[in-house]
Amino acid sequence: MGLEIVDDIRKDYVYDLVKSGKREDGRGFREYRKISVERDLIKRAEGSARVKIGDTEVLVGIKLELGEPFPDTPDKGVLITNAELVPLASPRFESGPPNENSIQLARVVDRGIRGSEAIDLEKLCIEEGEKVWIVFIDIHVLDDNGNLVDAAALGAIASLLNIRMPNERYGLTGENTLPIRDTPVAVTMVKIDGNILADPNFDEGNAATSRLTVISNADGTLSGMQKSGSGGLKEEEIAEMVEIGIEKAGEIRERYL
Amino acid sequence: MYKVVVPGDFISEETNRAGESTYVEEGKVYATRYGIVDEREEIKVVALSGKYVPVKGDVVIGRIAEISFPYWIVDIASPYDARLHVSEFAGASDKKIEFGNMNSYLDLGDLIMTKVMNVNVLMRIELGLKEDFKIGGRGRLIEISHTKVPRVIGRSGSMIRMLKEKCKCFIFIAKNGRIWIEGREDDMNLASAVILKIASEAHTSGLTDRIADFLDSFRKGKGKGQV
Amino acid sequence: MKEAEVELIKEGKRLDGRGFEDLRSIKIEVGVLKRADGSCYFELGDNKVIAAVYGPREMHPRHAQDAKMAVVKFRYNMAPFSVDDRKRPGPDRRSIEISKVSREALDPVIMREYYPKTAIEVYVELLQSDAGTRTAGINAASVALADAGIPMKDLVSSVAVGKIDGEMVLDLNAMEDNHGEADMPVAVIARTNTITALQMDGRLTKEEFERGLKLAMGACHQIYELQRTALIERYSKSENKKEEE
Repeated sequence: MGLEIVDDIRKDYVYDLVKSGKREDGRGFREYRKISVERDLIKRAEGSARVKIGDTEVLVGIKLELGEPFPDTPDKGVLITNAELVPLASPRFESGPPNENSIQLARVVDRGIRGSEAIDLEKLCIEEGEKVWIVFIDIHVLDDNGNLVDAAALGAIASLLNIRMPNERYGLTGENTLPIRDTPVAVTMVKIDGNILADPNFDEGNAATSRLTVISNADGTLSGMQKSGSGGLKEEEIAEMVEIGIEKAGEIRERYL
Repeated sequence: MYKVVVPGDFISEETNRAGESTYVEEGKVYATRYGIVDEREEIKVVALSGKYVPVKGDVVIGRIAEISFPYWIVDIASPYDARLHVSEFAGASDKKIEFGNMNSYLDLGDLIMTKVMNVNVLMRIELGLKEDFKIGGRGRLIEISHTKVPRVIGRSGSMIRMLKEKCKCFIFIAKNGRIWIEGREDDMNLASAVILKIASEAHTSGLTDRIADFLDSFRKGKGKGQV
Repeated sequence: MKEAEVELIKEGKRLDGRGFEDLRSIKIEVGVLKRADGSCYFELGDNKVIAAVYGPREMHPRHAQDAKMAVVKFRYNMAPFSVDDRKRPGPDRRSIEISKVSREALDPVIMREYYPKTAIEVYVELLQSDAGTRTAGINAASVALADAGIPMKDLVSSVAVGKIDGEMVLDLNAMEDNHGEADMPVAVIARTNTITALQMDGRLTKEEFERGLKLAMGACHQIYELQRTALIERYSKSENKKEEE
């Protein structure tokens, strides 16, 4: 298959570069590509953000609906995160039901938001046991050039920060905004030939066998972690990645949130 | 008592003798499979389970699975199917085997005794036919794990010789774990039972003697043996 | 993660009497299924799991075959009766993610290059659930793969740690998982201390995380010994039986 041969060639290329301390686009190992965050661009959504990290582009939209709470949490609102790897974003994406990659992406972003308790779910309760707000975080990947997780997670929190509660639509009165208590930021790193690289681009993501996403909050605590890939990591490598993760999250938070 | 190992178990530091089902890392030999260590010549692990992967020169019993001119596709009890080209067919020197009449030579379900002529990198397996290749008639096919075949054969063939003698059967054991038995009904029953017993106790010691005792008592007890 | 409305630690002990660093009881049986090429029944506390391996066998669909190595497939599935609220049969998003994470936990040890173009299929069925199911599944799958004769560099062992009532503890049960502050499943290759699965859910400081990881790695060594013993004894037990007869 054509794509596989290209993958192998590019894999070797990435490895060779890393061996001599370099990356394809000239970045340092801990350096992110250019990030841009544009908010509030989808009028029909209650919140939205368009995040670009390098050439990767992800659009996140927040929709709020009224609904019933889960039976075991009658006084809490509901958070539902979904990700679509739509075919236009990559020659590798096919239309159809969510596959393991889009499911993992959504669940990791969800984990970060939930773990940080950025949204006070109790504030979303309108009538205990009967009526609560359901917050849909929908991640729409538009261009996959590596590191979808960080872009999606950044888009999620950025869109949550400026929600317009759709009170009118439901004939309710109440707060116009949703208080957000924390700003979780995801930082994904890969290991290539024993080196840790942050913000892997597409080729680096393919070349690496292990990948770790570290989600941290404004106070440096962790609210999510996910290792993926077919390789293994040593305890020291994980410790290093956690350090880098917290550090980079702080930088990104300061500049973009 | 044999030494059983699991994948990742350390076996030895003699990396120059590392053999089958082992791997070497930083000057040490480790097991890659669940099995019994054999350090007599090279250091290897005799696997107690696993699929048969054909090697050039193996003699196997195959079953015709598909007819796809000019090949018969043959099931050889492996994750890989093998193929037999019409030109390999010994008896077809004069007549020409054609698309339409392949099944009159070898049909679906037929059993053949065949030799692995070649295995290439893409796991394309080519078979060749031996002189008396056709297996059929009054006989029985039993299948055991290919990993137990050496035990059924025994050291220098001691076990198989004893089986043939005491069961009074023709027994052919192929590398892929398929065994063809021919003889009287009673004798074939005994042979099958014994072979399955050997296969299930392949990892134990003193097996040859135990089997010999079993066979003798079976004969004496005129068929009332315990299997 | 819920606030700790339930008191999970009383007088320095957990509700089920365990210490902070105690594993639940483990039971392992090898080769329990006739049809599968390899299998393992595994109990971790009240979790009951069965893992089966089929393969290597022909890979379908053909176009998804890898010309150079075996493709590993992993399917984690919960039986409808395994949980309090009946679970609808079929894969749900959680099961799909767990299947992926589990597969990636075992990938680093499976020597796939020995069986090009084939598929090695791992099936984990959860019969009874009490938190830590994916770790039980990975442990069982490791043993089942060995039982099937799949060549591997090592076994993989797995356990979860978590934070309850402010304390880092080992191997959460369902009550602790539901009311705790963080849950962290980990998978480790005991021999080399290499981590092959790591997830964290909840909120932890960096120090708590590091402490939890160490705790998990130590427990994985214990679990590894149990996995290994189960495999070795399976053959020596029948050897002893023969000598007795």
